[in-house]
Amino acid sequence: MANEKLRYPLITAGVGVLFFLAVDTEPAFAHKDKHTAEQLQAFEEVFMEQVKIGDLLFHGDPETQKRLNVNLSNTGTACAMCHPYTSDTHPHQFPKFQEQMNEFATLRNMINWCIEKPNEGEKIDPDGPAMKALEAYIYWSNRNSKLDPGRH
Amino acid sequence: MKWTRSCVSLALIPLHKSLLYGTTGAAAYGLFFPLINTIDIAFAQGGQSFKFAWISDTHLYPKAVNKRFVEKATRAIQEVQAMNPPADFLIFGGDMAQLGDPVELQLGAELLKEITIKKVFIPGEHDWYLDMGATWNKMFGAAPWSFDYKGVRFVGLDTVSHAEDFWTSRKMSAKERMGNMATLDGTLGGAWAAVGAEQLKWLNSTLASWGKDKPVVIFSHNPLYEYFPPWNFWVRDWRGVHEILKPYSNVTNIHGHTHQVLYNEIGKLRSIGMLATSWPWPYAPEGVPILTRPMIRVDPGEPFDGVGWSIHTMDPTGHVENQYKMWRKEVFADAGVDSNAQDSHEVLSPRVADRI
Repeated sequence: MANEKLRYPLITAGVGVLFFLAVDTEPAFAHKDKHTAEQLQAFEEVFMEQVKIGDLLFHGDPETQKRLNVNLSNTGTACAMCHPYTSDTHPHQFPKFQEQMNEFATLRNMINWCIEKPNEGEKIDPDGPAMKALEAYIYWSNRNSKLDPGRH
Repeated sequence: MKWTRSCVSLALIPLHKSLLYGTTGAAAYGLFFPLINTIDIAFAQGGQSFKFAWISDTHLYPKAVNKRFVEKATRAIQEVQAMNPPADFLIFGGDMAQLGDPVELQLGAELLKEITIKKVFIPGEHDWYLDMGATWNKMFGAAPWSFDYKGVRFVGLDTVSHAEDFWTSRKMSAKERMGNMATLDGTLGGAWAAVGAEQLKWLNSTLASWGKDKPVVIFSHNPLYEYFPPWNFWVRDWRGVHEILKPYSNVTNIHGHTHQVLYNEIGKLRSIGMLATSWPWPYAPEGVPILTRPMIRVDPGEPFDGVGWSIHTMDPTGHVENQYKMWRKEVFADAGVDSNAQDSHEVLSPRVADRI
């Protein structure tokens, strides 16, 4: 019985709170402010930091591999030895059917194939920091290439 | 074998077919590419035909680190030794080692012992920048050099030892210096490939005693023209080289470093790029000579694809004919889709992480 006595005052208070929230608070927006130059610079810095890490990984830097706990090669070779300037990596053509893998592949699939086959290294987490950095560097270096997915 | 001076009597100057076809033919895949692997018309008699072999860019690591590169170098070496009749000599065109380590150079020397014909050597940058050529020169002799053989003057150049000093001010160790120089698309090494003023002078005086119409073959690690400077697919003083060579009507440059099928002609100088035994490089983003018939795009999963060595045949006119010994059936691309040259969709940027 005591609970029933309390019910109506509680409901009344709850409705009051909801009314207050509906009337007196700002609605939530995903992008409520215009971007400032500082923000854009910060975004760029975040991206370029990943590009630089990817560049170091791509060129076989042992310290960066150790820090990210990856082993991209067991033969002394590095990605850049076959792909100077990331040439012939063709990120703009993925996803596509990749002959060597005999499957429809993404750039990340191809990166791991290269690590495992020619480099005889150890496959990396496809969503991990090393993969993201490699992807950032390869895309950055090819940023002026023509997007052409599926092209061989 | 005795190395003698003799001369070829030329009734007419050989005219290469590319001069007849011009660049129109060279621009289209598979239509008119008679430049390599064909027999040129002999306009004159009197010289002697002979063969020599080229191996380069083995990029050996210590055996325990990388067996594949050893296997590929070994295959080339065995094939040279198996030539019947044998080649008259082997030219090793540099980059025997990957990181200039004496262990790597010693491994190369051991493997090359299997070849019993005369061997001559020029250095690559990978052989040089750990100890600034000390081990290389001790083991394989210093360049430049020249010798005359069956009417041809052969010249071997050092195009790798002239890098500007980027290491002292940065307090780099010898290994760090070597590591930077071993990175093709690195930025610190800069335009390191050069013949240098002293060697240019030497080249000029070495050729001065040679007839202007007699055949000259120049071996260099880097190409003696401007193909793609950022990867040192050139020598920075190539204009000086061409100035010296201008009076000579029959000069062929055979070079390594580019790891790909290449052909060019500038004036009367022919240039032929050699394969590596270690791995092929994609064509540079720009500057591929229009006279080059691009090589086929190879399978990165097949270690023996796109690499190999070369047999050069000197015909009686003093014309060098190159035969790529690539370990695959088809060497050349017939269509753009089978080549990585001239891909207009691909636009690349230099690396960033080693820039100051």
